[in-house]
Amino acid sequence: METRKNNSFHNTAAKYRYLLLFTLPALLFYVVFAVYPLFATFFISVFQTEGGERSFIGLDNYVYLFTDPTQSGQFWHALLNNLEFFAIHLIVQIPVALLMAALITSDAVRRLTGFYRTILFIPATLSVVIVGFIWRMIISPLWGIVGFPLLGTEATALPTLSFMSIWEWIGIPMIFLYTALIAIPKDILEAARVDGASGMRTFWGIKFPLITPQFGLITILTFIWTMNGFDIIYSLMGGAPGPNYSTDILGTFFFRSFFGYNNIIGDADFGAAVATVIFLFILICTAGYFVVLQRRLRPHEL
Amino acid sequence: MKSRIAPLALALATAMIALAGCSGAGSGDQVTLQFESWRPEDAAIWNSKIIPAFEKEHPDIKVQFSPTKATEYDAALKTRFQGGTAGDLITCRSGALNRENIKAGYLEPLKGLAGLSNFDELSQSFWASSEGDPYCVPVASVMAAFFYNKDIFKELNLQVPTTQAEFMSVLQAIKSNGKYVPLALGATPGDAWVLAFMGLYNEGPNYWHGEDGRQGLIDGTKKFTDPEFVEALDSLKSWTPYMPDGRASVTYSDATQLFALGKAAIFPSGSWDITAVTGTSGIDVGVFAPPLPQAGDQLYIQSHPDMGIGINAASKHKKQAQVFLDWVATSEFQTLYANALPGFFGMGKDAVKLDNPLAQAWSDLKTGAQLTPRLGQDILSGGNPDFEVTMENSLQLMMTTDKTAAEVADETQKGLEAWYPPQMK
Repeated sequence: METRKNNSFHNTAAKYRYLLLFTLPALLFYVVFAVYPLFATFFISVFQTEGGERSFIGLDNYVYLFTDPTQSGQFWHALLNNLEFFAIHLIVQIPVALLMAALITSDAVRRLTGFYRTILFIPATLSVVIVGFIWRMIISPLWGIVGFPLLGTEATALPTLSFMSIWEWIGIPMIFLYTALIAIPKDILEAARVDGASGMRTFWGIKFPLITPQFGLITILTFIWTMNGFDIIYSLMGGAPGPNYSTDILGTFFFRSFFGYNNIIGDADFGAAVATVIFLFILICTAGYFVVLQRRLRPHEL
Repeated sequence: MKSRIAPLALALATAMIALAGCSGAGSGDQVTLQFESWRPEDAAIWNSKIIPAFEKEHPDIKVQFSPTKATEYDAALKTRFQGGTAGDLITCRSGALNRENIKAGYLEPLKGLAGLSNFDELSQSFWASSEGDPYCVPVASVMAAFFYNKDIFKELNLQVPTTQAEFMSVLQAIKSNGKYVPLALGATPGDAWVLAFMGLYNEGPNYWHGEDGRQGLIDGTKKFTDPEFVEALDSLKSWTPYMPDGRASVTYSDATQLFALGKAAIFPSGSWDITAVTGTSGIDVGVFAPPLPQAGDQLYIQSHPDMGIGINAASKHKKQAQVFLDWVATSEFQTLYANALPGFFGMGKDAVKLDNPLAQAWSDLKTGAQLTPRLGQDILSGGNPDFEVTMENSLQLMMTTDKTAAEVADETQKGLEAWYPPQMK
């Protein structure tokens, strides 16, 4: 009897029942807070609201987004700015994060690893409003250390904002690389040392190849998160971010469309259309990336 | 032990919540009105002066002042209207934004409210629907002009300018002296509205003759590219050499600080900044009117309807809310309000005595002047592309790069022609 009872625990029907039971909370959470809003957003975007009356208009909001000279001009402009925002993040973030992670794991700062790790991660825990405020004060031509109005000219405003954002978030890619570096088995490194390899040689010959998959992960996370970027730009430059929209990215464009800004009156239906387009763009890029690139990035077999 | 205490604590907590719920409902007759506002900085004044005065006369009504940050107010309020969680009393922006809320049916019509008879039709019109029905009680208007530091003027032996030529020579004299920033005005993109509200709409009405120019744009008989508007833009551009170094990223609060700390001589701004510029370091501040293009011209001053109060159409306590609005319409409230908030002027028919001398000096500027609201607000705004946003973007470039007044006028006019029927070709 006893054994049979135990066996019943392993039969398929019961297994699936338990499987369902255990995944249900997570599934429910995911459906309510991720799947449902996505579909609801699309649903809203095919309506228009006129004086409190909702009516179905099909894809007119999308047509308007891509044909109205003001809206489509601002959309493409925001997309290009956003790609620049992403590119600056990527180009600056990866080498700097790698250098930091390499230094922290090197023997040179062995005693202070914990200290540096904490220090470099602290900005990521600050509110973006505080980061923006501090940096604006530091680079203020009136009270700060730079005489040039970095946030006030079209050429410098977006790179300046990107650097502030990188400064804040550099701890995250650094932690990815750091954990990958400390996961490398000690015996390989020891063998290299016995063979007489220098620190540089060990790093480029052994450590670097072993952590390459991390770069793919960092790239795609940076992409998703800069494409969804909004907070630092809104807090410093407002909802119609100048000069001459040079710091306008998809997030601020969406905000302006959905909630309105200054005298621009928000339109939730049109804003939902913008949000859907942004979502699809990020989805396609991310999926494409995984299909084409990430599968080829494999760690060296040990 | 643990298992025995837990249910007990739970039961106790439940009982307490139930009790708290009872006591709220139990005192029955007293109604609390939630009051939406975009001025968190005024919370102390409402809570300690104005609301107590009202509650003393109406002990059965309580008012809860619940403000949201000004830049987030309109979006947040809209969300709350849609979700049915907006307060009973709504502070209304004037013009297009308010008409949008009226059109969506969020505001209760006020037709027949007795207190409205204390306001003339022009004052009421800023919060009326497109059909002209009143939806908010006018509360306050603000003005724009120029603050100046009296001590610096004395030190450099300067006279208050009345014409554009005098204004320029005063600015030049301060610049040549080198000790002070002549004009505390920033042109950072995030605060581009400053260039419109305190710049163009401040000095400009003297060129486009206030309502003449504004109504001309509204009914389509004038264009923004007409000489009077381009001259106004040109005169604004002539300020640039006197603005602080690195003006392209000097913010509004930087400029306010610069003046309040006594480091700048002149601060083009609004009456709402009276407390901000006199509060911190106690400098001696005066005010002068926008300079005239030629001596002897008629003076025009920006006096903008800023704030009204209306009732949420979905409120459960409309009757009590109307009692509050009737009280807001009295000169008792207006005296209380205008004196508690120097620089915000009541809009009622009866004159209000102001205790703050600087606020009185501002109010005195109106003598002999013709008043006009901000050019780009109200009817001209709210389109696609928005007049105000397009112009502010161009103005910011005009004040920081070599973009000319004519180019700004041209871009703004094109934006207007894209959607505003009377201006369409």
